[in-house]
Amino acid sequence: MVNTLAPETTAPATRRPQRTATGRDRARRRQSAVAYLFLAPALLFFAAFLVLPLGFALLLSTSRWAGFDLSDIRPVGAANFTGLFADGSTFLAPVLTNTLLFALGTVALALAGSVLVATCIDKLRLQGLWRTLYFLPMVTTVVAVGNVWKYMYEPGGLVNGVLNALGLGSVAFLQDPHTALPAVVVVQAWASAGSAVLVLTAGLKSVPGTYYEAAALDGAGAVTVFWRITLPLLRPSLLFVCVTQFLTGLQSFALITVMTKGGPGNATAVAALEMYRQAFSYGDWGTASAAAFVLFVVVLVITLGQLWLFRRRGEDT
Amino acid sequence: MTRPRRGLGRRHFALALPSALLASGCAGRHQGTGRPGDPIVLTLLTHYSSGVLRKALQEPVDEWNATHDRVKVRTEAVEFTDLLTTFMVRQAAGQGADIIQPYCLWTGQLVRAGVLRPAPPEHAEEIRRGYSAAAVRAASAAGGVYGYPTEVQTYALYCNTRLLRAAGFGEPPRTWPELEEAAARTTRRDGYGNTLVQGFGLSVYDDSTTVGQTLALLNAAGGRFVTADGGRTALDSPAGRAVFELEHRLVARGASVPGVNVYQAFPSGQVAMVISAGWWTGSLRPLMGADYREVGVAPVPVPAAGDRHATLSTGFLLGVNAACRHPDEAWEFLRWLNADRTRVRGGATVTRMSALQAAVGSLTGRADDIRTLLGRGGDPNLRPFLDALAYAVPEPNGPGAQQAKTLLRANIEALWTGQQSVDQALRSIRRQVDREVARSW
Repeated sequence: MVNTLAPETTAPATRRPQRTATGRDRARRRQSAVAYLFLAPALLFFAAFLVLPLGFALLLSTSRWAGFDLSDIRPVGAANFTGLFADGSTFLAPVLTNTLLFALGTVALALAGSVLVATCIDKLRLQGLWRTLYFLPMVTTVVAVGNVWKYMYEPGGLVNGVLNALGLGSVAFLQDPHTALPAVVVVQAWASAGSAVLVLTAGLKSVPGTYYEAAALDGAGAVTVFWRITLPLLRPSLLFVCVTQFLTGLQSFALITVMTKGGPGNATAVAALEMYRQAFSYGDWGTASAAAFVLFVVVLVITLGQLWLFRRRGEDT
Repeated sequence: MTRPRRGLGRRHFALALPSALLASGCAGRHQGTGRPGDPIVLTLLTHYSSGVLRKALQEPVDEWNATHDRVKVRTEAVEFTDLLTTFMVRQAAGQGADIIQPYCLWTGQLVRAGVLRPAPPEHAEEIRRGYSAAAVRAASAAGGVYGYPTEVQTYALYCNTRLLRAAGFGEPPRTWPELEEAAARTTRRDGYGNTLVQGFGLSVYDDSTTVGQTLALLNAAGGRFVTADGGRTALDSPAGRAVFELEHRLVARGASVPGVNVYQAFPSGQVAMVISAGWWTGSLRPLMGADYREVGVAPVPVPAAGDRHATLSTGFLLGVNAACRHPDEAWEFLRWLNADRTRVRGGATVTRMSALQAAVGSLTGRADDIRTLLGRGGDPNLRPFLDALAYAVPEPNGPGAQQAKTLLRANIEALWTGQQSVDQALRSIRRQVDREVARSW
């Protein structure tokens, strides 16, 4: 109960908290300053290597620059962006189309393969050894991976040797425009499956054993357990793998440069390779920067789409 | 030609930070100490980065440094694949080399970007007088000469004479019908369809084996890739159509297998004929050993008997950077290297560059020098390339030449691999190349 007859003590009471609040503010400001001081190296790093290049790229995307003389940047408005989609431009088709197909194919293959492998590994002994084996391609240089697979795909290579031994004719995997992109997708999926296997095996470990025990008591078969328990509970790991693999696929450059250089024709030309050519071979940095921003938008939209799709199903990263 | 500069206030402000970043990341360009009496040091950026090429260039540079006290030259070498990128990055950072050795395909691009300095009148006159027309045109842009042509490559037909003889041909083909017949009769396959011997090597391996071959055949048919002013493509012509139809027939009949790397297959005796540049002789000789005697070289076949010979020429030039602080000294060094004559073994007098190129199995645009050097026990297979200097057509080198070449290559590959018909390929090239070439000008 409040004593309404008691003398009012509001003034000193408010003065004291004011002093305290001021002191707290000062302390907080000091703390903030110290925090920013500690953050400064990281912020400077981001400013120098992220914000500044991003701003420069934005400037270039609305300019014409040959790449040699910084004083020779001429503003051209949105011409670089419209040029990307103009008649005769190869950016939308086949370059952007190939990029999306490459990323989709890589995600689909790597995801399916790694789910299968991770599930098998989860039931094996020496799991660390298996995970290491599957992770090895990740620590191998892309140039080595690309060149080895290139030789395997050659008309006289290992893959065609197997086909010939089975009585089938040879396939010019990297020289035939119909097989070149799928052939490179297989390599990218193989090379990137290692990290997905790691994430998914970790995900499998986090599935509580009680679910499996309950399923066993109910008489559920292996397939039912996989579809009804394992896969739904793996969804957060799958989302992570899906998003990261898609991002990697959309930005792929090195493997395609090593294996096909975008050929034959433009069958394996992808956005990152096209950007590199525009900037460093043709000296058209404006178009290259505009292409980079278009790719950025594509990546952003697809990633947001993936997140939305998974969140709708009640999962989060 | 230099474009007039406009007000740069806001632009300078916008660029201040990136420029500072670029500049701070790089050490100052070495120009000597700058103290009175100390020598000026000129940097020379080249793609002669390894093996005999590096050694061949270093020898005259060492000679210059030993005989000149005031101006010294220091070579800096990168791989050819990194050459244009290195020009760009160093130039943007204010670290461009004083003397650069670009591929002639990039001449227009470098001139447009203000990187190459026009040759002073006396040097331009020396270049116009001393070199073949193709070499001079390759080192020129927008009517001006921009450097001394160094290495010049012409294209001719390499033949495996053993395979041709086995198929009943005593001599290399001279016309396209003879070429097609010889290609068909020398082709062999195993039971699985793997090609054992390719009659005529069309290969998607690199620019040289796709665009180089096609343009050599196009020039032999009297056609051109771009118009004389460089403003649009001229490939969609009867000559262009004839070349594409010839290549399409060769692939369709199985005499050419674009998937095979001819640089590996020809030395292994798996390709009977292929069109390539003269530099390849220098690689084939050590690679093939005794089998090299089976290699013959003939002019690029023409569509019909009696047609005039023509082929493609490509090359490099040595020019002076527009940002060079000592252009007179740089041009003087280039004159010494490329125009002054020196006595070589055997008593002949040739330019140092001619001696350098001949030593590595290559040619310069100075036909007399090379003829003199070849007459002293050189490879007889180089003669057709040397003769071709008289009738070769230089590769187009306008501002958008590199992009036009890449677009052409993609469409040629699409034709060879059945993605496009002849009509579609010609239409697509015209549409794509015209757009890019027009933008570049």
